[in-house]
Amino acid sequence: MNNQLKKSMAIGLVALSVWNCKTSDPEPTPYGDGVYVINQGAFGKNNGSLSYLNRTGSTVATNIFVQANPTLAVSGGSGQGGNVQDYIEVNGKGLILVDNGTVGQDKVEVVEAGTFMSRATLKAPDIENPRLVIQAGPNKAYVSCWDVSGDFNAGTFYKDPGYIAVVDLNMGTVSKKIPAVKGVERMVLVGSEVFVGSNAYSGDKTLLVVDANTDAVKEKINFGATPEPIALDANGKLWIRAGKDMVRINPQSRLVEQRLTFASSLGTLAIAADKRTFYYTLGGKTSQFSIEATTATGTQVLNRSFSGALGIDPKTKQIYGSVIPSYDQAGYVIRYQPDGSLIDSIKVEIAPAGFFFR
Amino acid sequence: MHKLFYPFIVKKQTLRWWVLGLFSGFISSQENGFAQTDSSGMAQRSPIVSLSAVTVRAIAPERFLVGQKIQHIDSVTLRQFQFGSLIDLLSLNTPIAFKNYGPGQLATVAFRGTSANHTAVLWNGININQPNLGLTDFSTLPMAGFDKLAVQYGSSASVVGSGAVGGSILLGSNADWQQKFSVTLGQQFASFHNNQTQANVRYATALGQNWQLSGKIFAYRNKYNNIYPYTERQRYFLEPSTTAQYGFVQDLYFLHKSGKQFSVNAWLSDNDLIITPLDTIARERTRTQSARLLATYEANRLTIRLGWIRDVLDYGKGNFYAPSHTETERLISRVEREFPLVSTPSRQLTLRIGGEWSHYRTRTDGYGGQLIQEDREDLYALMRFQTARWLLSANIRQAFVTRFNPPITPSFGAEYQVVQRDRFILTAKGSISRNYRVPTLNERYWIELGDPNLRPESGVNMETGLAAKVTLSDNIALTTELTAYHNRVDNWTYWNPAKEYHVENLQLVVARGLEFNTGLVYTQNQWRTGIRLGYAYTRSSQERVYDNYAQDVVGKQLPYVPIHTGTANAWMQRGTIRLTVQAQANSRRYFTADNSQFLKGNTLVNLLLEHSVKLGPVPVRVQGTINNLFDALVVGVKQNALPGRNGTINLIVNFSSAN
Repeated sequence: MNNQLKKSMAIGLVALSVWNCKTSDPEPTPYGDGVYVINQGAFGKNNGSLSYLNRTGSTVATNIFVQANPTLAVSGGSGQGGNVQDYIEVNGKGLILVDNGTVGQDKVEVVEAGTFMSRATLKAPDIENPRLVIQAGPNKAYVSCWDVSGDFNAGTFYKDPGYIAVVDLNMGTVSKKIPAVKGVERMVLVGSEVFVGSNAYSGDKTLLVVDANTDAVKEKINFGATPEPIALDANGKLWIRAGKDMVRINPQSRLVEQRLTFASSLGTLAIAADKRTFYYTLGGKTSQFSIEATTATGTQVLNRSFSGALGIDPKTKQIYGSVIPSYDQAGYVIRYQPDGSLIDSIKVEIAPAGFFFR
Repeated sequence: MHKLFYPFIVKKQTLRWWVLGLFSGFISSQENGFAQTDSSGMAQRSPIVSLSAVTVRAIAPERFLVGQKIQHIDSVTLRQFQFGSLIDLLSLNTPIAFKNYGPGQLATVAFRGTSANHTAVLWNGININQPNLGLTDFSTLPMAGFDKLAVQYGSSASVVGSGAVGGSILLGSNADWQQKFSVTLGQQFASFHNNQTQANVRYATALGQNWQLSGKIFAYRNKYNNIYPYTERQRYFLEPSTTAQYGFVQDLYFLHKSGKQFSVNAWLSDNDLIITPLDTIARERTRTQSARLLATYEANRLTIRLGWIRDVLDYGKGNFYAPSHTETERLISRVEREFPLVSTPSRQLTLRIGGEWSHYRTRTDGYGGQLIQEDREDLYALMRFQTARWLLSANIRQAFVTRFNPPITPSFGAEYQVVQRDRFILTAKGSISRNYRVPTLNERYWIELGDPNLRPESGVNMETGLAAKVTLSDNIALTTELTAYHNRVDNWTYWNPAKEYHVENLQLVVARGLEFNTGLVYTQNQWRTGIRLGYAYTRSSQERVYDNYAQDVVGKQLPYVPIHTGTANAWMQRGTIRLTVQAQANSRRYFTADNSQFLKGNTLVNLLLEHSVKLGPVPVRVQGTINNLFDALVVGVKQNALPGRNGTINLIVNFSSAN
């Protein structure tokens, strides 16, 4: 008995010391399996942030970058220092795109996935007006950047061309800037090629193809309208939004296979978990269309639309919509079952404009 | 560069002025280069000097807003901020909060829990708020532009008119009748390669048998290069910016021995702000130019004022070739007549009746570029009754604005001296007033977002207070004042972000609070020391549910209004050496309407050392300051760090025929 007590104490001590050793490692992952909400923040206030939702229960962790790195944000705001544009994870690292209203103050925060501990900060002039980020290799991310923007009325708002910052996540640096297109924005990786488009207001009609192995421009296709590559579907076909049209192309032949013309440009768009359906909002409704559709007649899913973003959780197939009441107060995420029945509504932060499902 | 300070040149120049003075018939009189006019702040008597029994030169707010708090900034404090900004002076001496976008950038006011267009800024009695925005960018008003400063707390629509809801800032020019000719040159050298230069000429002389002339010509140039030795502070970026300010002031006063006076005041100012100046594509430039002219005739209880103000605002990015342009002119005329209805030694009843007519002309890209004109008329009657213990006022104003019907705005105020002893005076105060704000030109005329059918905001302000002056001993004097107020403003306009920022008469704002000030002055032989403390509690919230999501906003503190603010000024003086510690603290400031995000509270401490010396006959004043002594991190509205510890050295040299 006594022996056993000693033994268990010894084991306990060892366990404790091991645990003590381990505490310096990112053992607890407070932001593990769940959904990140990208809160853009208000223009001019530079107060974007990320919130974290559990898949079960209606609790929310707000401002998680500051929660995880309290020493880095000392003045009570979001501490992010800009409007958050996008977030993804590549090989255990998260990239937060932060766009500040002032030139020279944009950044990409690289964090440890799951814990959100800061690992590196990429700054200007490598990063200027970052828009979106994708994974472009095992340890590589592409960040589309508008570059320095001038006066909209004088036509200098979109610098020609913008660029793609190639982020080496081993080194935590920008290894290259690929000159891209004016107002460069959405990118989709197809095999070893990245299809790149631009912001609908940029007026640039080029669909750019970048070789993800060499980080060099491979081809420039005149698309006829400003292309916004959205996603790759279950059949390996690339979907591109071009004004009111949703265009399906064969990424190998670069040929257009299908063109669905809607009443107006689809505001918020999300591809389903099985990649066979797109969800979209139009005319105050949330609807879906099949990747095999031949006409632009969707099926209504919800009798409402969302002022923020639309997302489909690949794990639960639940529908996530976000509402931005104003840029001066926290927005809400509203969750629905795949059949359209309401689950809950959760208050998040300023201007929820995107989701990242983990 | 420092040649001016070489004694022999100084002597030579002084001699020249002196000779000039002799020939001009100036009278030489001794002036101490370091006049002592300390006060403990709020309880100080109005510095206005009546030159004849029938001519009262105080502008109306100071005499007819009985029962309300007014704070006169003393001349020592004004001189300490000779190179400073109005923002710094007010933050360190009043509970007024500023929404500051960065050094030299837009700074708007929050007075008693109201928003930026609820504070009237008066210059010699006329409202100089930029009419398109309905507010003043305090970063464009250097202290150099005026001689007098007072802060009127609470709404004063009956006396001041539209927009005086939270309070008024009273700037004024001052005639100096001391007969002399003097030239004052000032130079500031500051951290971050910033510098300022000022030149001031003052003169007073008799013009024949009956007239006297007093004049001032003042010019300033301020250059803020803001070259910081660091780009970030604790991970918060500093925003690169430069500001160039130029100004010119001309005051002329012609005083007749009968007491009638004719005066002309002019203030031209130019403020040029560039954010991120080194980036030729993204840089943003804001140029604000104002011309303010005022002619005043005062005689036999009659005052006639004629003013003309022109405000030009240009904003552009990059090369600034085609900036967005706003140009607004105002012609203001005002006639007032005072009637002493009862005038016995124990009772005075005064009635002041006035009328005002203003014509506005504005042209703005945002309104479509066409010329918009409107007329505004005001009629008012102000009454003041004074006995040995009582001071009462009753005022009423009706404004008429093209296509608008502002409410009639009465106000009543009373002060009663509860205790009247040699060494202890206790005064109880109270007032109630209605206030209004005519929507700004932007709110009415901005394409799509503006609404010409907006209603004026309308509010009721109540306040009560106690003020005490105690002489504790021959050496110690104490003044203290406690004020509580409640201000309810309905039809509060709001650029509704839920409706793509269309402006609406949406909100109901209730601001209530407490203000406490106390000052203690100790004098003994060569030593003088004093302390002034101020604390304010400000609770200001939006109280109407106007849409589904307003529930999250109702009852929340208005953005950028700290609930607690405190100021402390302590000084010690021996002879002409004076050491001052200035401190200002505020609690957190929320920057979203639902109070979900905030800027942390902070404390700023400045240290100021002054000394006056005479180089021969020439008084030279030297000031050295350390701002943000403890290098506190303060983050501005755009989440940029404000600069850390910095310093200035100021030199002021006075050549005077009176030396």
